[in-house]
Amino acid sequence: MAPVVDRLKTEYESVVDFRIINVDSDPEGAELADGFGLQFVPSFIFLGRDGSQQDLLVGEVSEDQMRATLDALKQ
Amino acid sequence: MKRSQSIALAIGAAVIVVAVITLSSGTPPPGLIGNSEFVRLSEEGARVVDVRTAAEFAGAHIEGAENIPLGDLPQVAEGWDRTEPVVLYCAVGDRSDSAAELLQSMGFERVYDLGDGIAQWDGALAGGAQTASTEPPQVAPSDLPVMYEFYTDW
Repeated sequence: MAPVVDRLKTEYESVVDFRIINVDSDPEGAELADGFGLQFVPSFIFLGRDGSQQDLLVGEVSEDQMRATLDALKQ
Repeated sequence: MKRSQSIALAIGAAVIVVAVITLSSGTPPPGLIGNSEFVRLSEEGARVVDVRTAAEFAGAHIEGAENIPLGDLPQVAEGWDRTEPVVLYCAVGDRSDSAAELLQSMGFERVYDLGDGIAQWDGALAGGAQTASTEPPQVAPSDLPVMYEFYTDW
């Protein structure tokens, strides 16, 4: 997933705040993942400007699917 | 009948015999499997191995699975019976694919891989998944919408 996320991060960095967390090496990040109730990695959580969860994608996600979710998020 | 026709018929017959034996035994051929084949193999006593990390396993896992993270598998599997079926799974199928290749290279004869991983599992789960908080976690504020990616090195 890294190349896709890196590409989208570059493209969307002015409109979406990307936070990339390795749950193995980041204990606070792992705690946050638990807080979201995540069971699987990779998982992608999308929060609106008000902090509310707008979407959740799990597993290998296509670039098109992620792009569509980001486009919906930034509106 | 020409010789080439006889050979073709013999090959066709052999393929049919193998297919009938496989179907009648109810056991799928080694390789990628789906949820229903996973259940069948598990009920038949296959060794079920979750190759994700210990933290992922603790979060939720398929009932009856043992946790052998991919990095530990070569050493642990050394002591296993190579003729017994082994069913592998991970989150979405990447690590279990690597694990299947590894076991096959070690001489295991019946290696099965839940290709879509636990992410597409439609059966019961064990572990701490049910303990997740219902309250949304506190996150660092941002002026922008936020996308979190949670991943592991594997």
